[in-house]
Amino acid sequence: MKKTLPLLFGMVFGAYAVIEFYIPHHLVGSLSDELRSWAAILAAAAFIIGGINILQVTWPKIRRREPDWQYKVVLLAAAAVMLLAGLPWHKLGDTPATPTVLIEAVPGPAHLVVNAPADVTIQVGAVIAPPRPDGARYQADVGPGTVEVKLSRRVPGYRTQLAPITITDGQRVTVTGDPPMLWGREGRVFVWIYDHIFSPSNATMFALLAFFVASAAFRAFRARNLEAALLLGAAILMMLGRAPLGRAISDVFPDLAQWILDVPSNGGRRAIMMGAAIGAIATALRIILGIERSHLGSDA
Amino acid sequence: MKEHWSDRLQRFDRRWIFLVMGLAVVVPLFFPLGLPAKPDRMTKAAFNAVDALPEGARVFVSIDLDPASTPEIEPFFRAVILQLKRKNAKLVFATTWYQAPPLVDRYMRETIEVAIAPAGTAGYSGLNDRPYRKNVDYVNLGFRDGKGAIIQAFGSSLRLAFDNHADDGTALERIPMMRGLEKLADFDLIVLVSAGSPGAKEYVQFVGTRERLPMIAACTAVSTTDLAPYFQTGQLIGLVGGMAGSAGYETLVGKPGAGTAGADVLNIGNIVVILAIVFGNVVYFAGRYHRRQRGAS
Repeated sequence: MKKTLPLLFGMVFGAYAVIEFYIPHHLVGSLSDELRSWAAILAAAAFIIGGINILQVTWPKIRRREPDWQYKVVLLAAAAVMLLAGLPWHKLGDTPATPTVLIEAVPGPAHLVVNAPADVTIQVGAVIAPPRPDGARYQADVGPGTVEVKLSRRVPGYRTQLAPITITDGQRVTVTGDPPMLWGREGRVFVWIYDHIFSPSNATMFALLAFFVASAAFRAFRARNLEAALLLGAAILMMLGRAPLGRAISDVFPDLAQWILDVPSNGGRRAIMMGAAIGAIATALRIILGIERSHLGSDA
Repeated sequence: MKEHWSDRLQRFDRRWIFLVMGLAVVVPLFFPLGLPAKPDRMTKAAFNAVDALPEGARVFVSIDLDPASTPEIEPFFRAVILQLKRKNAKLVFATTWYQAPPLVDRYMRETIEVAIAPAGTAGYSGLNDRPYRKNVDYVNLGFRDGKGAIIQAFGSSLRLAFDNHADDGTALERIPMMRGLEKLADFDLIVLVSAGSPGAKEYVQFVGTRERLPMIAACTAVSTTDLAPYFQTGQLIGLVGGMAGSAGYETLVGKPGAGTAGADVLNIGNIVVILAIVFGNVVYFAGRYHRRQRGAS
């Protein structure tokens, strides 16, 4: 049963995925939509399984103090920090969604005062009040009517506070707000870690390629035989043709680069794609027919 | 016996190459060559596809990238968004990359909700754009995982794929601009900002060809050869490849930016790599000649 049921699921759903492509009936379409929703749910669940798997793989290595176990501690700590930062903790508390509004009767025209910390942008209607050294305090006579006060921090990760104010002559309305910090994916901590740690690290890893390519170009890119010489020639023409410098030298370089891309490269690429596609069809058929069982585990 | 110069150079300390490459990357940023970045045929085709859209067209933009690929693709994104906003296009965004949502949020703040080229922008003479309002002029559907399967789901029902809600939790039926936008085929154009897999390739394979979708894509330079066959067959109606493509697109839109600045780095960086290849081969052949001569004597 442990092997038969997954095998059966593979056969039924695999065969259905192939057949539904050729049946444009709405009932088949509805069932396909449902199955694709299942696929999305399974993909989301895979993240949880992935998290558990990381723990299962790394924790024993840390306990046994295997080589480079310190990096695994960093991995788990970083994963835990991102998990905690990614949860919407602010929903647990009672953070104010709107600023407090105090209305006082004062003789004279309608008067609006907005109090907020210095790093908060105050927007009254369509007008953004310029920051003031005395604590971003906004104060002005306004016409009677309804105006919306919007308070937002200049850095992301904080809630924007909105207060629609109806004001008449003879009133002074004081709006006091302080946009609270958010948690979760749009929260300050998550965004800060993403912007200041993940992004630079990710970009650095990719940028290092330039240095290794240059080094490899000197050490390994040799015209040892005709094939290697052709590869070298094509690479040099592509590099010249795809950069503006090549065109500045001669219009021949971009044309040659485009020809290489259009004819030999696309021809070769298409052959590889077709071959891979035929291989994928063969593998899919083997899974659907129950011949291929390696995806069920080593003991299948 | 005295060591031949080619043998000494074979053991050349590669840190010198790193230094030269570092300078080749940094110096052009401070002293640009300013060579014109002319768009290639594929980039022009992408620009023309957007240019041919009617006023107020409905466009789906899939932002599938991570911070590593932003230098190459982000300039295209900013340029194409300016072009779309000039046409008052209604924009719907989504991503299939788990690394992308914070980037997408930043793009919304920096390019969608503010004008990219407001009146008085220095060095820009094209039409001005305006700030877009969330759930009025644009909708961010957010992130969905599921690779090819979820892209296929976009092709049959966006509402099902996104549980009938935008990323900020607003029900899609409460957003007027989403009326009539049920699936990818309802859009006038699909713009794929694609750094890898899942991305443009999966869109072509899972929905593009089946639904005959008009799609343009921007990709990293290394992915250009992967996607070029789809441009040749018409499955992609435009393709912007790497930083050179982004720079060319900026030229077409008329607002040079990071892509144009990056094209200078590309110029010098490519020259360094070409010189390294030539230098390496001179050393290699000189060494081989020397060893043969020594063997003969």
